[in-house]
Order: sequence, then C-alpha cells, then structure tokens
Amino acid sequence: MTEAAVAVERLEKTLGKNRVLRGISFSAQPGEIFGLLGPNGAGKTTTLRIISTLLSPDSGTVELLGFDTRKAPEEVRRRIGVVTADIGVYPRLSARENIVYFARLSEVRETDLRRRVDAVIERLDIGSFADQRAESLSSGQKQKVAIARAIVHDPQVLMFDEPTSNLDVLASREVREFMVESKGRGKCVIFSTHVLHDAERLCDRITILHEGQVVASGTTTEVRGAEPELEDAFLDLVGAK
Amino acid sequence: MRAAWIVYRKELIEILRDRRTLMAIGIAALATPVVLSVISQIASRTATQVYTIGYTGDIPVGLDVLFEATSLKLVPVADPAAAAKQQVDIGVAFLPGGEIDEYYDPSRQSAQIASTRLETILGQYDAAQAAAALRTRGIDPGILTPLHLVAHPLSSPVQAASNSFLSFFLPYILITMILTGGFSAALDSTAGERERKTLESLLLTPAPRSRVLLGKIGAVTTISLVAAVAAIGSMFLALTQVSLPGPSGSTHISLSPVAIPIMVWVALLIAISFSSVTLALGTLAKSFRQGQAYVTPLYFITIFPASIILFIPDFNPSLAYYLIPILNAVLVLRDAIVHNTVVWPTLAVTSISLVGTGALSWYAALRLFTREALLTRS
Repeated sequence: MTEAAVAVERLEKTLGKNRVLRGISFSAQPGEIFGLLGPNGAGKTTTLRIISTLLSPDSGTVELLGFDTRKAPEEVRRRIGVVTADIGVYPRLSARENIVYFARLSEVRETDLRRRVDAVIERLDIGSFADQRAESLSSGQKQKVAIARAIVHDPQVLMFDEPTSNLDVLASREVREFMVESKGRGKCVIFSTHVLHDAERLCDRITILHEGQVVASGTTTEVRGAEPELEDAFLDLVGAK
Repeated sequence: MRAAWIVYRKELIEILRDRRTLMAIGIAALATPVVLSVISQIASRTATQVYTIGYTGDIPVGLDVLFEATSLKLVPVADPAAAAKQQVDIGVAFLPGGEIDEYYDPSRQSAQIASTRLETILGQYDAAQAAAALRTRGIDPGILTPLHLVAHPLSSPVQAASNSFLSFFLPYILITMILTGGFSAALDSTAGERERKTLESLLLTPAPRSRVLLGKIGAVTTISLVAAVAAIGSMFLALTQVSLPGPSGSTHISLSPVAIPIMVWVALLIAISFSSVTLALGTLAKSFRQGQAYVTPLYFITIFPASIILFIPDFNPSLAYYLIPILNAVLVLRDAIVHNTVVWPTLAVTSISLVGTGALSWYAALRLFTREALLTRS
C-alpha cells in the first residue's frame, strides 16, 4: 500500500457539551475514493473540518501528505479542495470572478491564472454561464462553480461533504462522475455521505461513524459482509435494525 | 499582504455592486444639501415672518408705526387672552394710564418670538418718549444713558456664526456618514458571508485569517471615507448657496484652511476604528438582520459625545477629555474650525486615543474571526 494521503489517529473533539468525536482513526490513499459514512450527527462534518484545519482536535493527530494539521495548517490548506453541501457563492460576482478569487487566494500564480481558470471552466462545462452573476445561477450551476473554485489550484486531496444533497438527479450524476474522474487522476477523494447507494457505487473503501466512533472500516464488500445490501449492514452497525 | 489586497479588491467590487451601499452613499451625498436647504428656508422665513397681535383698547400714538416696521400686525379682538390661545400669536390689552397687559402661550414658538419683539418695541418707544419729554424741558436726553458700550469684535461676527454652525454640523455629519456609509458593507462582508455560506470556503484557502480580515477592514474603511467625503463635499457645495446677512452684505460659510487636513486625518482614524468595530459585531451575528440589531446601538453610543458640543457650546475641556474617542475628534475639529488653529498636544492625545481604539477593535475583530465558534455556532 502507498503512503496515506490522509492519516487520522485517535481523533477526539468536543463542541460545547457534545462529545462529537471519540477517538476515531482511519487513512485514505491517493487514487481512491474513501467514503466517510454515518447518520446525521455521527461526526462526519467535524472530521472533515479538522482535516481541513478549520477546527483543532482536542487530542489525536491528522496528517495530510505528511503535514500535521496543527503544525502546518497553511501547507495543508494549499493541498486540499473542499466541496460542501452548502453551495455558497458570491452572488454579485460572476461565476468566473468567483473562481478567479479563490484561485488567487489559493496562490495560483498570475501567469498561470487564466489558463487554470479556463481549464476548470471547460472541464466542468461552465462556459455557457461563466460570465453571469452567480445570483442568477441554478443550484446545479452553483455547485459546479463551487467545485471549480475547490479544484482550481489542482489540490491532491479532494473532500466532498454531502455534495449531492441539494442537487437534482442530473447535477448529482455530474458530481459523481467528477469524483470518479479525479480518482483516475490519482487524487485522494474523501466522500462524506449518508446516501449509502452512492457510497456503494463509488467508494473503494469506507469507514462508518456512529456517535463519534468508528463502527466499521474496509472495502464495501468487507463491511457489507453477509448482508445483501450495504444499507442492511449499516442499519445493523448503528443499532437501527 | 497579497491575500489582503486580493480580499480588499474583491470586497470593493462586491460593495460597489451592492444597491444598499450605493444607496447609503447616495443618501449621504443628497441628505445634507436637502437638510441645509430646508434649514435655510425656515430660517429666512422666520426672519421675515409677520406675527399678529390681537389687541383691545387705544394704541398709544406712534406705537403702531413701530409695530408695522418690525412685522407685527395689529388685529382688533374682543378678548386678547382667548385670542392668544390660537387666533393670534399674542394678545395685548392697552389699558388707561399706560398699562399694557400681554397674553401669550409660552409653548408656542411664534408667541415667544412675537413677545420678544413686543418687549423690544416697547423699550424703544419708552426711550423715545422719555427723550422727547426731556428735550421739551431743555434737558439732554443723554443723561438717560450715562454709560456707552462700544463693541469691538475681535473676529467677524458673521464668520463666528458660520464657524459655530460648522463646528457642530461638520463633526456630526462626518461621524454619521462614516458609520452609516460602512455599516452595510461591514455587515455584508461578515454576517452576510456567513448567511450566504461562503465563509467556510473562504477560510479553507491558505490565506491567513488576519490578512483576510485586513482586506475586509480596508474595504469598509475606504467605503466609509467615500461616504464621508461625498457628504462633506455636497455639504460645502450646498453652503455656497447659503449666505448669512452681515453689515457688508451677505457672507458665504467657508471652512478654515487648517480644518481641512485635520478633518481628513480624524476621518481616517475614525473610519478605521469604526470598520474594525462593525466587522467585529458583524462577525458575532448569524445573519445580516441580526448584525443590524448589533450595530444600530453603536450609532447612538458614538453620536452621543458629538451631541455634547450642541448642549454645551462653550465646553472648555482639559487634556484628559481628549482621551475619550469620538468626543476628542469632535473637540479637535471644533478647535480647528472655530479658532483656525491646531493645538498640537490635543491633536496628539486624540490621535493616540483613536489609534489605540482602532488597534483594540482590530484585535477584538481578529479574535472573533479566528475562533472556532465562527463556524460551529449555528
């Protein structure tokens, strides 16, 4: 096995009075889609926020491509791209201006800027609405802008937090296809979802979180075990069966 | 610093495309001339206003001429006391033996003005009658006024009136417009960022949060200054149309040359402090509307010290007063406008105080902007 792109060790986090993470560990490799599964409140988003340095762990460590999230947060953020369920774009900027803004903040050199932005616009088929103000875009178009701004600096690790939850069928399919394509380009894709069907189709390996703890880890086949569907195994693991 | 510049440029573009901010600046530019025009019209109307006096009895000989010359119109009424309640401005009963009863309602401003004019006329009439009586007896009327006051004003009374007007109005406009001009922009770039869910993506970039905040403060400060300059510029444009009457014709209100650089310096310091404070408050808010609720009291808190000048026009404070933010700005501006001079110790203390306030506000904003609750508080 190659060196892990993301290595999480005994992670603990309390927010307010809520003990959200209780010592979780997992690792994700380059060139794979790693699924982080669990019901709402399991700790998926908190985990992704710790990996992306938005939150600090109370204990435990996270290393991303060899960089400790606590010791080198800016190095970590240079190497990640995050797409969340909340498709927040700047409404008074055009789609292109939104992407350019994030490219600059992600330290894309001015000499490469135009080429990079044009490349992601083409890759995500944004060209037809690139110069429209973001406030006039549909949810699917906004999600494409959100993906474009997350990948414009060509990060090695991509994290998707419930990326299809606000999208229609067509837009969801495009997001899934993009994740598969990124995996093919050697990226480490971490996919947080509670849609087990998506996870089963896309993920190479999964970890199931429940009440801040890892309750299962492995390939989808390993986690499913003797159950006919991943959903059955999931319900069994979280005690809902 | 590149990240701060990137954020600054983007914030300015967004602000300039925001109808709310453009409206605030537009109102800032238009409100002052409109207010000044209304004040000017009311003032000139008050000066030439004819007030009515309802009277009974016989008017002393020659007094009616004085009434007419001072725009007091005499109207015969049955009951001067009843008429003074609404029908006329004041009521007067001329009684035999030279006694005059006056009836007026002190709660009516027109009654107060008419009453003052009546007292002045009667004083002049009494003096003229006494002087005439003395002359017929061959006595110099000068014995009635043994002391002669000859006034030698050290500056132009018209300019003094102009300076007095500016010393209140200008700081008030400056502070109000700096705050209201940047208000919407500050909330939009903090609470608005959270509300439209762009904050998390912004914080996921490698840009240090201190630089992001610096860019935002820079943009809000710029827009606050633009609003203040628009308001003050339009105020001076409007003042060129307003004139004060003087012995040598009418005089336009003008600002002393010393006051202009002082005003720019003080405006800059206030704008930086206000930007940091409003951004800090906006960071605490979950939505634009909640941010408005947090920031609105700030206006009243800050405008109160400026109002002290209105109620205590001859307020002559010690140096320690110049440590109080906003009040110190108003006092320094007043000194520059009224005395056309810079008092360096007070300017130094004021600058230190405002820079200190700005630094503390910046620190508070940074602390709030870097805490985890910025994202986890829902």
